[in-house]
Amino acid sequence: MAEPAEAGRSFDDEALPHLDALYRVALRLTGDPSQAEDLVQDTMLKAYRSWRQYRPGTNAKGWLLTILRNTFINDYRRRKHEPIAMDLEAAEPHALYRSIEESDPEGAFFSQIVDAKVLEAIDALPADFREVLVLSDIEGMRYGEIAETLQIPVGTVKSRLFRARHQLQAQLYAHAVEMGYIQARESRT
Amino acid sequence: MSRINCEEALAHLHDYLKRELTPELVVEVRQHLERCRHCFTHAQFEESFFEKLKNCGQRETCPEKLRTRILDALRAEARDT
Repeated sequence: MAEPAEAGRSFDDEALPHLDALYRVALRLTGDPSQAEDLVQDTMLKAYRSWRQYRPGTNAKGWLLTILRNTFINDYRRRKHEPIAMDLEAAEPHALYRSIEESDPEGAFFSQIVDAKVLEAIDALPADFREVLVLSDIEGMRYGEIAETLQIPVGTVKSRLFRARHQLQAQLYAHAVEMGYIQARESRT
Repeated sequence: MSRINCEEALAHLHDYLKRELTPELVVEVRQHLERCRHCFTHAQFEESFFEKLKNCGQRETCPEKLRTRILDALRAEARDT
């Protein structure tokens, strides 16, 4: 249906394989399934309309995610209540691990946590942190690709990732303690 | 070649596991993990974390009805232009 691009790869061939990834990222950005669906559809239509600007053979996923993100910021972001960024920069980076290492040094508790709970914890991260974490640690994008997609320096990607991961680990640890998957250090007798 | 210490190894740990380090640093970190059991275990911890993230996220897929809706919208768009 869609017209073939110059190099012969059609829009369908290039864009449709990334629908799952687009939907997952949209879910994490909007935090709402019906908004995520609208966001993916808007993204695909915009991408289709600007298909001629896409250079075949370049990173289609990155291109689509850039459109998705810009659409989200322009049309969706203000609809959502965003969590306030917790500033963990001053926190000692390995403090969490030190409190876990006695009871579960290899992090076996991570696999006990149900997926829905992990996604919920990701959704509770501040938007800037959530975005880089989803692109890197769920979608498997390289730091360089993320920097290009978000139009920020690689150093910023790395520092946001660092803080996002630590904040998420702290939340998952608290959950694991609450559920009894792991014993809190203080409660050991 | 100067050997890196625990603090430096841990600072590079995520990037090491994500294969984002230069080949020189990869060797440095790998050698440190081979000789430091504490950092080696810490690396396993971070790996468990990454493994969980990768698995829990990738299971979500685009709903079939959305896929159909998008294909219909693209077809309508192609007709109009």
